[in-house]
Amino acid sequence: MRLNCPCCGPRGLEEFTYRGDATVRRPESPTAPAQDWVDYVYLRDNPAGPHRELWYHGAGCRSWLVVTRDTRTHAISDVVRAVDVARADKEGAGS
Amino acid sequence: MPEVLHPRDAVSPVPLTAHGVTLRAGAMRESVSLAAFRGQADTLRAFVGKEFDVDLPDTPRSVENADGITFIWAGPNQWLLRAAPGTDLLTRLSPCAAFAALTAQGDSRTALELRGPGARAIAAKLVPVDLHPRAFAAGDVALTLAGHIAVILRQVDDTPCYEFLVFRSLAQSLHHELHTAMLGGIPQADRIS
Repeated sequence: MRLNCPCCGPRGLEEFTYRGDATVRRPESPTAPAQDWVDYVYLRDNPAGPHRELWYHGAGCRSWLVVTRDTRTHAISDVVRAVDVARADKEGAGS
Repeated sequence: MPEVLHPRDAVSPVPLTAHGVTLRAGAMRESVSLAAFRGQADTLRAFVGKEFDVDLPDTPRSVENADGITFIWAGPNQWLLRAAPGTDLLTRLSPCAAFAALTAQGDSRTALELRGPGARAIAAKLVPVDLHPRAFAAGDVALTLAGHIAVILRQVDDTPCYEFLVFRSLAQSLHHELHTAMLGGIPQADRIS
């Protein structure tokens, strides 16, 4: 499996570390209902199909990446820097 | 009487040659890493552009200015600067401290140079990136693994010559790996006619 790092170009799996689901979001408030925290900390979807997940390019540019991978075929449809996703999220929330 | 500490070479200073490829320890250079604080990359670029008359690369490349200082891309908004001893890079860079992290790396990185017509074939045994001249040319940089060792790989010129910047504590291992790869010879598929 190869990931096309937006900074470094296509690289082998051995340069990356898998972190997990990129769609979970920390509850805004520390006083959010316990169920929200349980969802955030423990509960994950297990989709058969496209999945957004976090990978770390530790042996390369040391960027966190959001990878869209089809869990049935391992086809990678998109790789973007997580910092860009976070920035877009923030701008989306602000508007 | 206390024992006197002597500086030791990271690897043997004697160049090794096999199959027309030479492996040697690179000359000692001053190294400083430069990482822009959040949102300050443009300020840093402007300062470096003015002070050193060079454009910091945004892609995995290195550039050299008229004073022979090398500016190596080392990740998004991060660079490694290398210069001849006595340049006093840290002093020249000190105004950057307001908008970038400056770290002296002279003790951290060792340079190993692989030079010769077959150097590409030997480097390709250890490095998982495409080194074909169409994909990787003089001045290009890759942050990657050589064997299992993290390196900053740079093509110095078209001989070809490759420079492996490796953490000092792993220099001996990489030196051994490269030498073993050299002794294995140039693979038939890579023979230059």
